[in-house]
Amino acid sequence: MKEWLFLVRRRFRSWATSLLTWLHGAYVAFSQWVRLVRPRLISFLFDWIAWVYLLYAGFSVHHIRTSPTLIWRPEEKFVLPELSPTGWIVVLLVTIELALFVRSFGVSLGQRAFGVSLAPAGGSGTRVAFPRRVLHFLASHLALASLGLPVLVNPERPWHERVAGVVLVPRARGASRYRPWWTSAYALTAAVLIGVTVALGWAVTDIQLGALVRDVGKPARLWRGLSRPDLSYFFTPHPMETDSIFGALVKSLFMALLATVLGAAIAFPLSFLGARNITATGPVGRLVYALTRGFFNVFRSIESIFWASIFAIWVGFGAFAGTIALFLHTIAALGKLYSEQVEHIDPGPVEAATAAGGNRLQVIKQAVIPQVLPPFLAFTLYRWDINLRMATVVGFVGGGGIGLLLKNFKDGGEWTQVGAVIVTFAVTVWLLDFVSGWVRERIV
Amino acid sequence: MSGEGLPVLGRLRRAFTLGLLVPAADALVLALLWFVGSLFFGFLLHGREVYFAGPWWLPLLVIVEGALLWAAWGRSPGMVLAGVVLRGSARGRFLYWALSHLGPVGAGLALLDREGRLPGERVGGVEFVEGRPTHRPWYRTSVGWAAALGMALALGAAVGTLQIDLQALLTKAPATVKYWQQVLRPNTSLLTLGIQLLIETFFMALMATLFAAPVAAALSFLAARNLTRGWIGRPVYLLVRLAGSITRSVDAVLWAIIFGVWVGMGSFAGSLALWVHSIVDLLKLYADQLESIDPGPVEAVTATGASRLEVIRYAVIPQIVNPYLSFTLYRWDINVRMATVVGLVGGGGIGFRLGGALTDFNFSNASMYMILVIVLVWAIDYLSARLRAKLA
Amino acid sequence: MAHLVIESLTKIYERGKVRALTDVSFEVERGEFLVLIGLSGSGKSTLLRCVNRLVEPTTGRVVLDGVDVTRLSPRALRRTRRKIGMVFQQFNLVKRSSVLANVLTGRLGYVPTWRALLGRFPKEDLERARRALSRVGLLEKMYARADELSGGQQQRVGIARALMQEPELLLADEPVSALDPATSHSIMQYLEQMNREDGVTVLASLHFLSLARRYGTRIIALKDGRIVFDGPPGAIDNAKFKEIYGEDAEEVEVR
Ligand SMILES: Nc1ncnc2c1ncn2[C@@H]1O[C@H](COP(=O)(O)OP(=O)(O)OP(=O)(O)O)[C@@H](O)[C@H]1O
Ligand SMILES: [Mg+2]
Repeated sequence: MKEWLFLVRRRFRSWATSLLTWLHGAYVAFSQWVRLVRPRLISFLFDWIAWVYLLYAGFSVHHIRTSPTLIWRPEEKFVLPELSPTGWIVVLLVTIELALFVRSFGVSLGQRAFGVSLAPAGGSGTRVAFPRRVLHFLASHLALASLGLPVLVNPERPWHERVAGVVLVPRARGASRYRPWWTSAYALTAAVLIGVTVALGWAVTDIQLGALVRDVGKPARLWRGLSRPDLSYFFTPHPMETDSIFGALVKSLFMALLATVLGAAIAFPLSFLGARNITATGPVGRLVYALTRGFFNVFRSIESIFWASIFAIWVGFGAFAGTIALFLHTIAALGKLYSEQVEHIDPGPVEAATAAGGNRLQVIKQAVIPQVLPPFLAFTLYRWDINLRMATVVGFVGGGGIGLLLKNFKDGGEWTQVGAVIVTFAVTVWLLDFVSGWVRERIV
Repeated sequence: MSGEGLPVLGRLRRAFTLGLLVPAADALVLALLWFVGSLFFGFLLHGREVYFAGPWWLPLLVIVEGALLWAAWGRSPGMVLAGVVLRGSARGRFLYWALSHLGPVGAGLALLDREGRLPGERVGGVEFVEGRPTHRPWYRTSVGWAAALGMALALGAAVGTLQIDLQALLTKAPATVKYWQQVLRPNTSLLTLGIQLLIETFFMALMATLFAAPVAAALSFLAARNLTRGWIGRPVYLLVRLAGSITRSVDAVLWAIIFGVWVGMGSFAGSLALWVHSIVDLLKLYADQLESIDPGPVEAVTATGASRLEVIRYAVIPQIVNPYLSFTLYRWDINVRMATVVGLVGGGGIGFRLGGALTDFNFSNASMYMILVIVLVWAIDYLSARLRAKLA
Repeated sequence: MAHLVIESLTKIYERGKVRALTDVSFEVERGEFLVLIGLSGSGKSTLLRCVNRLVEPTTGRVVLDGVDVTRLSPRALRRTRRKIGMVFQQFNLVKRSSVLANVLTGRLGYVPTWRALLGRFPKEDLERARRALSRVGLLEKMYARADELSGGQQQRVGIARALMQEPELLLADEPVSALDPATSHSIMQYLEQMNREDGVTVLASLHFLSLARRYGTRIIALKDGRIVFDGPPGAIDNAKFKEIYGEDAEEVEVR
């Protein structure tokens, strides 16, 4: 080898090494810095957002309460308050002051979330004297006004903490175990936040307990239909319908069955592609793994009603469209469950089969499938249960079966028939639940 | 078995299981087979639905005789579920088969026998014993064959009943191109409205979960076998469990219909539907958790002279707080998904609009709503999983 | 009068029709350290649990301080139970609770129910908990979660819990079976201390004869639910040993 080439190489190598060392050092320093900055800046943002949320939620509750016709205009449930610029500035200042105040005079929610609290500098006990807290409160204003400059510059001992003679320390465990919760600022804040959220939810979802009690009698015909189901159209179709209740039920059962069986048949091979321990070896494998999992995740989140509607156009309204909708959702849902199961198998037998010289397919057949078959069967049964329930929903948007019947009866105001369908369906689900639970118990 | 014979309860159990339950299960399986077979051949031969083929006596004969023969000569599904096998000679089996026609009378006579043996067993000198035959692959058992046959017939019948038309899937695809284009171009002008509706849906799930958890937690103590003993406790336990399982089989969507009539359509009805369904679902999860607590601390706290309530407060509750929270988060996750579906049938929130867009075939609106729903579902899924991991 | 009298105690478990105890009778004087030995399944745990009625005896009487425990109403039973401390093989601590919370449960028989339910134990009980914990050397673990402790430490918490009851009788069901030999001795010494200094009568079941000899003032051996030996530790010779534990048994020393 030529001398100069050698030299260049060595130069380059030492250069590369020092670059790497430097990068690593920078990374370590940066993460250290982030760790120091987080409990101060991010937790402050956290506190501030909590106060803003509190105010806005309170305003929204008031707004929804005082606008009676919002049920027809849900898009106006959440509006920005009409405030003058001064008003906005006041809101901004109030929320900031509140956040700073709690952070200086108690343990705020943000501080608690990051597990820190104030302590006197110099390690003299844990109680922070009142004057120091006042100083800290005042100095924090300056720190905030300079956009957190002291924290960014010297995150370990920021200026405002040095001035006040306090330090931010990790919360001591067990130090305040026997203090009642309402004496700590963070618990109080959390309680108020929860309370406001419940109030907001109460207003948003339009809860009226009065209506619940007052209108018990409203669905009188439905109650009658439920308590004494009218089964005159159980076997013979209603004049306006093509299917009898029994016929529609059979259809729904078959929809669920076909969707589950076919879905399971497709999900089964796919699940191995979506299992990290089987597939994700090498770049191609990792890509396949990611694609499969991505497919599962996306298709699992798309409701079957969406598919049902599309396929109602595609292949016409009816049970076929509903079946395809359930089928697509089943592939993804079962695929995800299956592949997670494959990922959790005991690696021992796999190693043994690999050591015995099996190729990947042989390993799967000998060592993986025997382990996963019982849980797979249990998941599949469980899925059938879900698909049967979903078959009703799918029927509402063009999927056929008992859901379609239910929708037609409901839209036609045939409440006694609605009652009959609900009772029939519930009894069926109950029986199948019972049987499949029993069988599942024996399999797993 | 010992010389004392079986106690009355054991005799009752044996006679009831072997004399009634097993034949009934077998008959049910055969009836199902006949049913799917009828449907299958109905479609194959006549092209229409035939629920029960043949004159009435034919299926009856096949079902009853088939069930009795199956139990006498093979290992019937009922026997598999009961975990028994029949031991005895061919002659004994024949006698057993002949006498098994006594049915309920036979089960009654079995009560008079000290061992609770059925008349057929006594006369034929055969006996049902607990256990399973040496392991065989499924295709060498009669139950396996029946299951495979049933499954094949059912799938065939399903293809007929559901009017599966694969041709349409291919030929009519071009008609949907227009809609796919809409799906790919979501109506972004709905973004603000969509987010508002999404918040409503979110709160439906939140309120339902929040108010269901305490109710379910309180009820769960009545639905745990290990905490309900004695003359009052046991009936209460059975009652709560039964009511729970019945209520649970009425799906949230059906509840939404009921509440939609009751309090009017809207997010209140949807929240109520989710609430009721969450209560019974959580009740089961909670109660199962209660039944699997460590009995040691309960014993120890009882031994200090604590009262029942104190035992629950100090030995039971600390053990279940975290699992309960974890189940509640899990349920919250499910409720967020279900809130959309419940909204569809009149429960308000984004589901209602999504359903409207779908029935109008306005897919650019529907796709916008769907994207928002997916984002929310993913976010809650992630959040709930993170929180649950912390609790574990 | 004897502190504890067991009169022809018999226990038949409904489930499985197991005769766990058959006609067991003996008396225990105040301040005795009585050790129960016997093979696994001989009925030691059942006997101990019959004393505070964690297990309901089928027939027979258990008389504590002249009071028949088997006839007590639920209320009176709770008052009696608080005088009887109990220590378990598996420690039976509430694992998710703090050590302090576990120790305080020892006072549940004394504090009013509403106080207990709110978790507001009186000040003197907290003080008592401190003393009990410092006595077993675990004061600094007061706020730790119970499952963060080692086995020996957990058993010491169990003892502290029993101390809180200020018991007159202590039942110890194989208190050291889950522990190593050195830890076993330290636990047994705490029991011995309670016995000597506080005058607590101790009924302990043990698996190792050497431990029984070292700490017991009297030994009762059970076999298939019957008493086969009752006497001072020194009286168990090799023949007696074979009778209790079977022909093939070898004695194991625990130092
Ligand atoms: N809850 C129960 N139900 C039915 N049988 C029981 C129950 N508890 C114990 N037994 C039976 O009672 C007999 C005595 O059991 P016990 O637990 O008192 O023995 P032991 O001497 O403590 O044994 P070990 O040294 O293993 O703890 C055993 O045969 C046991 O199977
Ligand atoms: Mg024992």
